[in-house]
Formats: sequence, structure tokens, C-alpha cells
Amino acid sequence: MSDRSLDTAALADWLRDLWMVDGEQALAVEVVAESTAGARRRNLVIDVHGGPRPGRFVATVLPTADIAILSMADEAVVRTVAREHGVPVPEVIGVCIDESVLGGQFFVSEFIDGETIPRRLLRLVHAEGIGQRIVGQLGDGFARLHSIDPALAPAAMAARIDPVGAALEAAHLVVANLLQPEPAFSYALRWLREHQPDEPSERRIVHADVRTGNIIVDRTGLRSILDWETAKVGDPMEDLAWVCTRMWRFGEDHLTVGGLGTIDTLRDAYLAAGGSWDEHRFQWWRVLVTMRWGTGLAGQAAMHLDGRFSSVVMAASGRRVAELAYDALTLIDAT
Amino acid sequence: MRAPPTLISHRGVWFGWERGGWRCQADGVQYRPDASELLDAVASLLEGDVIAAVPPHLQHQVRVAANLCRVLQRESQLGNANDAAEHDRLASILETGDHDDLWSLRAALTARLDDPAPIDPVLDRSIRAALLATLRADLAIAKPGYDTSTGAP
Repeated sequence: MSDRSLDTAALADWLRDLWMVDGEQALAVEVVAESTAGARRRNLVIDVHGGPRPGRFVATVLPTADIAILSMADEAVVRTVAREHGVPVPEVIGVCIDESVLGGQFFVSEFIDGETIPRRLLRLVHAEGIGQRIVGQLGDGFARLHSIDPALAPAAMAARIDPVGAALEAAHLVVANLLQPEPAFSYALRWLREHQPDEPSERRIVHADVRTGNIIVDRTGLRSILDWETAKVGDPMEDLAWVCTRMWRFGEDHLTVGGLGTIDTLRDAYLAAGGSWDEHRFQWWRVLVTMRWGTGLAGQAAMHLDGRFSSVVMAASGRRVAELAYDALTLIDAT
Repeated sequence: MRAPPTLISHRGVWFGWERGGWRCQADGVQYRPDASELLDAVASLLEGDVIAAVPPHLQHQVRVAANLCRVLQRESQLGNANDAAEHDRLASILETGDHDDLWSLRAALTARLDDPAPIDPVLDRSIRAALLATLRADLAIAKPGYDTSTGAP
């Protein structure tokens, strides 16, 4: 599938400048495919013909800068820092913050072949019997990411807030603004308040959205961790809790970590690679992120009802709230 | 309303023998199909001919719409009984009379949980059990099987 709306000539000119290719030498860009995975950003698989580095790459284009969580330039820095510390991340070739080139900021990164679409990914993983290996590689990757000196993170990511307190505060606010009283969320919030852990002794770079759907896998195992736009400096246990939430298991509910493998495997690999695991904090974050997703779904229903984003999918989110409320209370019940 | 052929009326509900089976129908319901049967018809249309005919970018939305019809179909069958059971659970926990409606009871429990004053551990466990029972009943409408799936939460 080729996308005619990408200005391949402009991208080729930009790569010429990046690689300092003189005008005589041929360099052309061809769009091979567009990934449908990212909702907000466009991920285009491109082939570069000619120049010093011909081959396959990915151009990630952010249509409008005002919806960026982390700027493209900062995201590129985090990706590069993580990669230098052994986290599997596609190499960033270059970043462009000039929106006039492709109609939005973008970066070009190495193309990694493999599966990203959750159900297909899980079929491949279970056919090859590599689920636990991938969970081990995720644990190892998390430990490497969390070992990085946060001073290497871009200034925009610097932690100005206490991660635990701020997450709880934000949860209070959304529960107070729900469309209707939901005692299950009030119960979960009360539990979070009563079991609030200390702030982490060390704040670290966290990805905050590692899950089945944001990783590339092939038959050898984990190839890459994608989508770093949510990266921040925070509590490492948030990363480990998020990857264990039920919606990322895609029906493989007996495999707690992303439908791939077990928490024991994740913990063992994290510890073996030098990470420090705090079980109380981990369980607290599991409840918090589950509830946060549930209130997020409630928020989508509200956006449909007040007309900010009318869509049957957003409307349907309101009827999914019970799933997350049930998960949160079941987690609390198990502690 | 239309009543089935052989009729017995008991407290506003008509019972009748029809096409080899017993049927019952509440007073005030319009001519069949009832809500559940209509939603079934709409869902079948969406899941079949419509999904096959719409362009790919609309298929997800049509699938969601069909699922919502199924949700509403189950709600038309289970909703009233679920609400009544939730009402009884909340009234028992909050030790109020039966006169309060479900919305007031939910609001009262929410207010109690939002209040930082301590809650006795025994009461806390009953509240959690009651909320989980309500959520299971909600899931029987919204996503049957979600609460019976094996594995850790």
C-alpha cells in the first residue's frame, strides 16, 4: 500500500542534506507501506534508493505538534539514550522539527522486521513457544532503561513532581469529575490512598507504555520497544505494572505479562539485570494504572456525550468501564 | 397490547400457549418484536450484510455498533433484575430502608467511600464483595465471560 500524500521528493531532499549527498548523486524515496498501528502518528515504511545508506527505514510523522506528549526531538533523544544503554530500540537516523517539509515534525529510524499487531504477534509467539523468553527480554530491557542516569533525559522530561503523589492526585480529580457516581472507583481510590507507598528513592526514565502492541517480535524473540512519546522521569514500578494490565493480554489471560508470560519471569529477569523490585509499590501501581484506564474509558464516553468527539467507538467505551473496575477490585481482593 | 392466544393474566403479566411453547408478556409492551428481538435483528444485519458492504475504515465501527446491540439486548433481559439485586445489596450495607432509589444508594455509598473516616474492616469486606457482585452482573450484560476467565487479574 503506498501513500501518495507523503511528499517523497521533499523527504529525499531532506535525507540528502542529512547525509550531505551532493546534487549529482541519485537518491529517491519510495513508500512501501503505512502501519495502521499508531492512531495519532503516521508510521511509513520507506525504501531509500541510492545515497550512502540505501535500504529500508521508517518515517514517523506527527501531523500536528500541538498534540505531542513529548516533542519529536526529545523523543529521539530518549530513544538514542536508551539504545546506547542496551535497550532494544530502532536507531534514530535523524529528526526534523521543521513542519514545512512533510507537514509535521518527523523522524526517520531504522526499520526492524517483525510482528507488532497484537493477536498476530501472540499467535507467532505461542507457535514458537517464546513467550517467556520475550518476557525475560522485557525484564532485562526495563532494568537497563531504569539504570540510566535521569540527568541524560531531555530537560522537558525532568521530574518536577512526585510520581506516586501526582498519579494519586490525578486519579482523585478524574473520579471527582465522573458523569455519575461509581462506587467501585471510589473504593479503588480509597484503597490507593490507604496503601500509598513512599515516593521512589530514585526517579528514573520510564517508557510508560510498554505493552503488547508497542513491541516488535520475530521468531528469535523481542526485537524492539516502540512508541516512546509517553516517556517521562518517574517511578520504575509504573512500567512493570502497566505491562501486566489485562487489556494487553488480548484474551491470553493466564499469561499476566502481555499474554506472553508470567510476572515471576519478568521479576527474575529484572533482578538479574540489576533492577530493584519493590513488590508493594508494584501492586499499588497495578491498581492505579488499571483504574486510570477505566476512568479514561469513562472520559471517552463523556467526550462522546458532550460532543467533543462523537463516535460509536467512544460511546462504547462507557460500557467497558465495568471491565476495568472489576480488574481493579479483583487486584485489591488478591492483595 | 397484544395478548397470546390462550390467556391467563397474573399481576399484569399475560401467559399463553403459542406455537408449542409458553409465552409471557408484560402489560404495556407494544406489539412484538420486543426490544430484545429487535436488537437481535439489528445486530444480525450489522454483523452480516452491513459489515461485508462497508469500506474497511468503517468495519471496526460497525462491529462495535453490532456489539452494542448485543449489549443492549442482554440489558433488556437482565437490567431490571440486576438493578433490583444491586439495590438490595446497597440497602443492606448502608442499613437504610427500601425507600431509597438505586441512584441515591450509589451516591450515598460513594460519599461514604470518599469520606476519609475509617471504615470497619468487616464492613470494608462486605462493601468490596457487594461491588464485585454488581460488577459481575454488569459484565454479564457488557461482556459475558470476562469474570469467569481463568488466570490472575
